[in-house]
Amino acid sequence: MKVLTIAAKELREYVLKPGSISWGVVFPLVFTLAFAVRFGDIDHLAPGLLSISILFGTSSFVSSSIIFERRLRTFERLLVAPVTYLEIAAAKILVGTLFGLFVGITSMLVLRLFMAYPIWNWGLLILFMLLSGLTFSALSLYVSLIPQNPINAMTWLNLIRLPMIFTSGAIVSLLLFPRWFLVIGLLTPMTYSVEGLRFSMLEYYDVVNPAYSALVMVILTMAFLHLAIRSIKSLY
Amino acid sequence: MAAEAIVAENLTKRYGDFTAVDGISFKVKKGEIYALLGPNGAGKTTTVRMLTTLTSITSGDAWVNGYSVREERLMVKKSIGLVPDVSNLYDELTVEENLRFTAKLYGAPMERVGELIKEFNLPAKRKFGKLSSGFKRRTTITAALVHEPDVLFMDEPTSNLDIRSAKAVRALVRALNLKGMTVFITTHNMIDAELLPQRIAIIERGRIVAEGKRGELKRLVGKGVIVRFSVEPLSSTLLKALEGYSPTFDEGRISVVVDDADDFLEFLFELRKELGFRITYLSTELPSIEDVFMEFTEEKPCPCGGCPL
Repeated sequence: MKVLTIAAKELREYVLKPGSISWGVVFPLVFTLAFAVRFGDIDHLAPGLLSISILFGTSSFVSSSIIFERRLRTFERLLVAPVTYLEIAAAKILVGTLFGLFVGITSMLVLRLFMAYPIWNWGLLILFMLLSGLTFSALSLYVSLIPQNPINAMTWLNLIRLPMIFTSGAIVSLLLFPRWFLVIGLLTPMTYSVEGLRFSMLEYYDVVNPAYSALVMVILTMAFLHLAIRSIKSLY
Repeated sequence: MAAEAIVAENLTKRYGDFTAVDGISFKVKKGEIYALLGPNGAGKTTTVRMLTTLTSITSGDAWVNGYSVREERLMVKKSIGLVPDVSNLYDELTVEENLRFTAKLYGAPMERVGELIKEFNLPAKRKFGKLSSGFKRRTTITAALVHEPDVLFMDEPTSNLDIRSAKAVRALVRALNLKGMTVFITTHNMIDAELLPQRIAIIERGRIVAEGKRGELKRLVGKGVIVRFSVEPLSSTLLKALEGYSPTFDEGRISVVVDDADDFLEFLFELRKELGFRITYLSTELPSIEDVFMEFTEEKPCPCGGCPL
């Protein structure tokens, strides 16, 4: 219940913050639109673009919330209340996921205008969008808590998310790279999102079985959640 | 331990090699206003943060309302309210939404929000970010009271407030205390220290260097009693007679510091008979809390020799 209370507050407080809007909504939608207009038939790029949209939606929202809460010390209101670290982290991940799904669905609507094939499995697509949102939210929460100075959170996040666009096979398939690069690909959390979304939209995957992708995303969410809680404890 | 609202035993906080709070011990009685007075960087805020579970304790322990800060964090959190040195509610939420959010977190009844808004005359529908600093402070204090805590911690309660708002906050603290609430404040503001607490601990470089009631602390300074007076007419004979007391002059008033005020007053009245002057003003006072503060926190070079402190 407290998770929902905190989540509702997060939505009210941070949904219109410049960081959430510029990096979280405008950037992924313009990025998606640019690719769609440039390439026309973008079916094979669509899973990657959708994953990028969810990544930027979730991470921008979560980091905005952390930056503001740590700078204005509202984060301490949560820490001094009878709320567990798990509830605080879970609320932030939940809202980040919801925001990411909103951006992802909007991006999907744009993509559908340019896609030639129908979506293969809507149920799986929603499942992988949800898992992507959870993974990216948890990752963003952890990364945003790393810098001592909260102003640097967005920079840290860009250091992680921008290279992931390249190393996850979102734009260029991992099969086109040398074999050693695959190791980097498999170490990239976003790879599993792209692979899962690709399978649910187009009924094929490049390197990772969708069941395995789903499992890895669940494990990554739990791991980043655990690391985020440890970061909160070490910061306060 | 039941008579005490807060007990700290050898409370210590270290950040690497730096010791912010160095084994302090004190007890705060239930229903008391207790102040931790000290210069910037003395360890006041760190102490409050440890007592309110916001910062981990390096060694020692503390009990708030009988609950160990180390072992029973959730119970401590439920029984305290914290007003930090900055007003930290959510800018985009209205005053009422902020209070409702706090009430939900603490499981307090929603009716309490309406009562508090009425009691503290708060602008319920205005966004917190749009309030003046005085109203922000008042709302932040109100948010700390939503769940009716037994102990209220206030870090620099009047910092960044104008004179009128600061006065209102002090009146509020006294009113809460009259209702039986224990209030723990940290301050470097001498007016707060002079007017609010029943007992004061002076903290310097992470250590408590003096503790007691205001009068006790003032006596500890050992400066004696300050006698201030004005006379008409002021004659050179009178000034010569006072020479032995090393008088100082300020805005037409003469001040002398004496060990025994009675002896001096007897002497002054004898002089009046002899010289025929009129005493137009007379007061005796103990040293101020500022005098006490200056005595116990005298600026000393930092032992490291290199830091700007």
